[in-house]
Amino acid sequence: MKLHRIQGIVLQKLYSFRHSYDKISDAFYWPLLDLLLWGLTSNYIIQTSPSSGRIVVIIISGIVFWIIFWRAQYEISIGLLDELWNKNLVNIFVTPLKFSEWVAAWLIMGIVKGFMSFTFAAILAFVLYKMSIFMYGFAMLPFMLVLLLSGWWIGFIIAGIIMRSGSKVQTLAWSMPWIFAPFSAIYYPVSILPHWAQYVSTLLPMSYVFEGMRKVIATGEIDWSKVAIALGLNIIYLTLSLLFVRKSFEKVLQKGVSKLY
Amino acid sequence: MNSVVLEVKNLTKKFGNFTAVDNISFSMEEGEILGFLGPNGAGKTTTIQMLLGVLTPTSGSISYFGKELLLHREEILEKISFSSTYTNLPWYLTVRENLTSLSYLYDIENRKQRVEKLVETFHLEKLINKSIGQLSAGQITRVNIAKAFLNSPKILLLDEPTASLDPDVASYIREFLLTEKEKFHISIVFTSHNMTEVEELCDRVVFINHGRIIANDTPDKLTRSIEISHIELIVKQKKEALLSFCTKEKLPHQTIGKYVVRIDVKERQIPEFLRQIMEKGIIYDEISIDKPTLEDYFLEMSGKNNI
Repeated sequence: MKLHRIQGIVLQKLYSFRHSYDKISDAFYWPLLDLLLWGLTSNYIIQTSPSSGRIVVIIISGIVFWIIFWRAQYEISIGLLDELWNKNLVNIFVTPLKFSEWVAAWLIMGIVKGFMSFTFAAILAFVLYKMSIFMYGFAMLPFMLVLLLSGWWIGFIIAGIIMRSGSKVQTLAWSMPWIFAPFSAIYYPVSILPHWAQYVSTLLPMSYVFEGMRKVIATGEIDWSKVAIALGLNIIYLTLSLLFVRKSFEKVLQKGVSKLY
Repeated sequence: MNSVVLEVKNLTKKFGNFTAVDNISFSMEEGEILGFLGPNGAGKTTTIQMLLGVLTPTSGSISYFGKELLLHREEILEKISFSSTYTNLPWYLTVRENLTSLSYLYDIENRKQRVEKLVETFHLEKLINKSIGQLSAGQITRVNIAKAFLNSPKILLLDEPTASLDPDVASYIREFLLTEKEKFHISIVFTSHNMTEVEELCDRVVFINHGRIIANDTPDKLTRSIEISHIELIVKQKKEALLSFCTKEKLPHQTIGKYVVRIDVKERQIPEFLRQIMEKGIIYDEISIDKPTLEDYFLEMSGKNNI
């Protein structure tokens, strides 16, 4: 891998971010709206039912952490769609750029923009609700990293499907991550899900993260077993999704990069 | 003799049952400009895409500088470049941002200096801070060609690079390509629908149709293989008699304006043709005889191959 080539793609994406109102609103507008809507709703619940206790913290933390997962996958799937919309794939693949370098640039952008949106949301949560995401110190850090990995493998699956079917399935970039949301137990414990859905939850690393996050909020302790299971599942899914996206790219080369729209 | 920089052997590309490129072989020498011609759908773009490594061949091999493209992709693509009127650059990005970010994809020593040099060479100073979306088709083409020179390539693949350019800019680009070829011995694969341009630039022409190479020679030899010349006569009197004579003799002809008649005649039959019309009392005021051109060759070969 050559660093300067990864830098070239990252640079292109940063320039694109600077000029695109769509991308700026994706990074700031939606997190702002989520926090306002759900924060006010949970405040109202507390006012009507004071025994609800930590509901604001749980919901706001859920939103802020979901942003990491969402941004990581979004950067990969929208990053690919952006190249298709701009018909730019030929321009970059007639250069020495390797597939792995292209993927590395996606991952870096996922981290950069995830951090950007996360920081924005965390500051907003503090300003609006006097709630600091960092009040639990570094206890949340392992969960953040695990969520990043989850976002990546879902992003790769979506990218692989788009590579095989073209931009006619682009809606997956927005809709597919939300299929996982109900099973990820972002705002509620896995135990309230129907039995079959609980089984699905056990297969998703995100559910262990949000369960673990709630435990940190309740007790201040990290459940390392949940981190380990989530990490293990992520490694398996990430490996499989990388193989899938690589195979999908080979299919693109069979049809021709310029035929992918 | 110059060294071979590109060698294509038995290259085939099939899409399902359809064979887009059918077992073609050709080579290109250092410093050579190779015209790659053929009607739409002939297999030119498919071949160029395989030459660039963005389409996997069904069979056959492509070697640059004696090395297989599939095995040495990174090393080879560092030395070759591509420009096409039909590929886009990111719409939102400015010309500078596009050139800068793409320059990072190559192993270039001083990227900033290289971009500035290209801006100067291709007169992009006034466009540099404009987004691609704000440019005209001709300006985008100019940026695309500048982009192709980012890595100071040894081999350039140009797919209709001067389409949509104003004649003066197209002429400047052609001169620039010839100068680069002379100075740095770069080799160019060139596709164009402008046959005059191909005749002016190319040392050799590969003509492809239905995925097969049907000719591979110098533009001069290809045009000499065509026998038909065009005679233009200005006839102010007895024009109708001339037209009926052409019809009777089955000579393709057309009337241009009020007095000009253009007739296609085999080169060796021109004296006999002129004698016959003189005998019929048809007097022309002016005559011009155009030798066959590459365009005639193109039309004849395309016609023979049932487009």
